[in-house]
Amino acid sequence: MKVPLSWLREFVEFPAEPRQLGEDLTFVGLALDGLEGRGADAVLDLDVTTNRVDCMNVYGVAREVSVLYDVPLRPLDLSFPEEGPPADQALDVTIEAPDLCPRFCARVLDVRLGPSPAWLRDRLEAVGVRPINNVVDLSNYVMMEMGHPSHAFDLARVPDGRLIVRWARPAERLTTLDGVERALAGRVGVVGGTEGPLALAGIMGGASSEVSDDTRAVALEAAWWDPLSIRRASKALGLHTEASHRFERGADPEAPPAATARVAHLLAKIGAGAARPGLIDRYPAPRPRRATGLRLSRVSAMLGAPVAEPQARQILTGLGFSVKEQAGSWAVEIPSWRSDVSREADLVEEVGRHLGVDRLPSTVPASRGAEGLRPRQSATRAVREALAGAGLTEVINYAFVSDADAGPQAPPRLRLANPLSEEQAALRSSLVMPGLLGTLRANLRHGRRDMRVFELGRVFGATPEGPAEESRVAVLLMGAAAPHWSSERRAADFYDAKGVVELLGRRLGVGALTFVAGGAPGFLHPGLHPDVTEAWELRDEAAVAELELDTLTAAARAPVRFRPLPRSPAVERDLSVIGNEGMTAAEVEARVRKAAGELLKDVSVLKRYARPPIPAGRVSLTFGLVYQDPGRTLTGEEVQASVDRVVAALRAAGLEIRGE
Amino acid sequence: MAESRASSEGIVRELPRLRQDFDAALAGVRDGAGLQELRTRFLGRKSGELTLLFGRLGGLKNEERRLAGAELNTLKQEVEARLEARRAELEAGDREERLRHDRVDVTLPGRVGPVGRRHPLTVVREELEDIFLSMGYEVYDSFPEVDDDFHCFEALNMPPDHPARDMQDTFYLEGGDRLLRTHTSTGQIRYMLSNPHPPRVRIICPGKVYRRDDDITHSPMFQQVEGLVVRAGITLADLKGTIEAFLHALFGPQYPIRFRSSFFPYTEPSVETDLGCIVCGGGGCRVCKQTGWLEILGSGMVHPAVFEAVNRKLGKVVYDPEEVTGFAFGLGIERVAMMRHGIDDIRLFYGSDLRFLEQFHR
Ligand SMILES: [Zn+2]
Repeated sequence: MKVPLSWLREFVEFPAEPRQLGEDLTFVGLALDGLEGRGADAVLDLDVTTNRVDCMNVYGVAREVSVLYDVPLRPLDLSFPEEGPPADQALDVTIEAPDLCPRFCARVLDVRLGPSPAWLRDRLEAVGVRPINNVVDLSNYVMMEMGHPSHAFDLARVPDGRLIVRWARPAERLTTLDGVERALAGRVGVVGGTEGPLALAGIMGGASSEVSDDTRAVALEAAWWDPLSIRRASKALGLHTEASHRFERGADPEAPPAATARVAHLLAKIGAGAARPGLIDRYPAPRPRRATGLRLSRVSAMLGAPVAEPQARQILTGLGFSVKEQAGSWAVEIPSWRSDVSREADLVEEVGRHLGVDRLPSTVPASRGAEGLRPRQSATRAVREALAGAGLTEVINYAFVSDADAGPQAPPRLRLANPLSEEQAALRSSLVMPGLLGTLRANLRHGRRDMRVFELGRVFGATPEGPAEESRVAVLLMGAAAPHWSSERRAADFYDAKGVVELLGRRLGVGALTFVAGGAPGFLHPGLHPDVTEAWELRDEAAVAELELDTLTAAARAPVRFRPLPRSPAVERDLSVIGNEGMTAAEVEARVRKAAGELLKDVSVLKRYARPPIPAGRVSLTFGLVYQDPGRTLTGEEVQASVDRVVAALRAAGLEIRGE
Repeated sequence: MAESRASSEGIVRELPRLRQDFDAALAGVRDGAGLQELRTRFLGRKSGELTLLFGRLGGLKNEERRLAGAELNTLKQEVEARLEARRAELEAGDREERLRHDRVDVTLPGRVGPVGRRHPLTVVREELEDIFLSMGYEVYDSFPEVDDDFHCFEALNMPPDHPARDMQDTFYLEGGDRLLRTHTSTGQIRYMLSNPHPPRVRIICPGKVYRRDDDITHSPMFQQVEGLVVRAGITLADLKGTIEAFLHALFGPQYPIRFRSSFFPYTEPSVETDLGCIVCGGGGCRVCKQTGWLEILGSGMVHPAVFEAVNRKLGKVVYDPEEVTGFAFGLGIERVAMMRHGIDDIRLFYGSDLRFLEQFHR
């Protein structure tokens, strides 16, 4: 909202320099966005919040200034001479839709059309309005000055001199002032004539009754429109104007007579015409001013500082509220232009604004105790730290994805009704697909060969109960972990991804994880499916993993229970087992554990070998067996007895043993 | 055979020559291999010169064998001792040689494991969480990203057709009334409805939010932290003190803070907080649009209509606006990170571009 200081000075004197004025207004809620020009020509650009429709004009800002510096606010000059026959002889107004239009005022003005004087044009241009002709300019000028929009119809082009306020009828059309012919479907209000609609109610006038060079007399309309009706019509038509912006936020129902009077006053002042006698005012159900109670104790209690009664009173009356004292509290009448105020809390804000929030004391509310992260939250942080510690970089991808990327056999995704684009039309059901694959592809295009990334975030899906969401953690590894000149480059594979998962298990203390082959989504085989690699133009193998985060963190164990350190040494024995290629480490390990007895403390895979001298189709696994008894030193005989049992069991299972 | 008939003198007579040969050969040894060769020549198990002499002892009579054996043993011990001494000598020489010649190129890259890092927004978010944890706030982050009109708008004093809804262009899901939350203020409502110790509240709610906006200052997905404190006797002064403490902890106490009136539908009074521009120090620059201030945080006293909406949903008056008051605040995590790192395009955070992410070391 642009406010030329020269215009402001017509209504209020203020002791501050432009910059200072802007800063002072900032504190009361009209933030200074910019300052153009200097001295008398300075123009403030104020950021008026959407609730303060009363400040979207010069006079409203002047009212704030008057309270800010405790200086008088001069009234608008609404005086004007009346000439000619009574207005209602030439113009008749009917409100057929009072739900749309609670009040409709009109005057008939005889005009001498022409350009506006320079001062008027300059002011309009200073506030960003293009001058057109003196009649239209005055209507705009008054809107920018005191906030109420008005509209001038060429009286000669209003059939029979009749205006009828009503809802648009099905299939009606109207060409508006911007030259666009519009279909008036749905609940759109119009100002109609005897031959069809003449203007869009509260939004824009129509071309057929537009003021032109031939215009000699105008019907000047200033109405008060139902805010919701204007808002809905404006949205339905996709047409947002200075007028609709004000009406849909709640204009001043008492302003229409003043708005027409101010136009008449200025018309006479610039010598461009005169008003015919009489105001046509259709206001079937006048709206009384609203009132609410205010307790000064409540003001102090909300602000956290004692507020002096005279100060509160001065602020409220300066803003146009009238204050009546009642037992223990005030009855406060709300001015008609403050549609944003309705209850005590609003009045507390009015007082607080002008006392200055910045000048209030600062206190910190006492804490009732200490707080800490919940176990799930600590575990989530541990996941991030473990992954970053393992050399993975955290990425955050959009939750929106293209529905086309769902991949084979993916369950349906939740779709957005109003996406920004088809590329972002659905909510992801996986972090890897397509999120981390997109990360991979984008970085490949930048020439990356080696990549280790992870993401934590939610995925979405449909359930019979409605949309559901779940937290996940996913990793993607490609290429070498830490390439070095001293060693061969080794690209990441399945075991790197599995290792990251195992690392998470260990860092969270979730106990043993079991890995089962199969059941993976269609895009894996066992790394990325070749179809996916091709579709995504990926050059290298990538290994991925995706886990339910809440399942993982819920299994986290903390704190750890200490176990006494063993006092006796451990005995280690190695065993090489040769079997067919299908032999898995887990099944051999299970046989070892079962046969070894309780002295066996640990089994680990030391080596897997499937090249000569191991015959084709066969594979050798070397296991390290650790024997230990915490209380005593084991004898060679008891260890050998256990190893013999293991060997016998493995041989019985058809496996070949080397070593012991 | 003549040899077998040899006397002890025959053997003993050969010893000086053997010693002479050994001396000469030893003097010529330059390295470990030469030394080994020499040892084999004299002491080799099968055909060492000394070994062969020991073999000839068998042909002697008892007394002769004893005398010659003693001489031979003396020589053998001498040979072994001198071989050992020479070996030690050579080894010492080797070490000196190694010390003279062994070098590392300290400029070659060291062997570092893979280096990872958390996202810069994660770092900021956890820092914010830690500051509020230290002030006794619970971190409430388990509320849904897909929510509904009641929690996102209606309960926050934005009834249908409220103009304030224009400020937050909303993503809706197909079919039904579900939407992507436009702010973490939904956390206020969700927590109050399931509060384990009503009516007291002291929480922050970090999380992702969504709005239909996409340019260098707006991302369709971004992150906020909402805060809510409800209790008897909470004041606007409490809000101010809390925000000051928080901003000082986050940015340092050297930056001025100002509070000005503003508007949010769910707070009354509403307050906007500005921080002295950390780029120019307040003198005015492009980042602060020459004002010297950066808008950092919106807040206010909880609007009684919010308490009333929650009470209606609960079916009883749990948060009586006459008994309890509260304050709420919200800030954008990206904004803090952008200010801190001098980032001018919000979309970089969500581009997963490693050239960007790897600039951050935490
Ligand atoms: Zn600056």
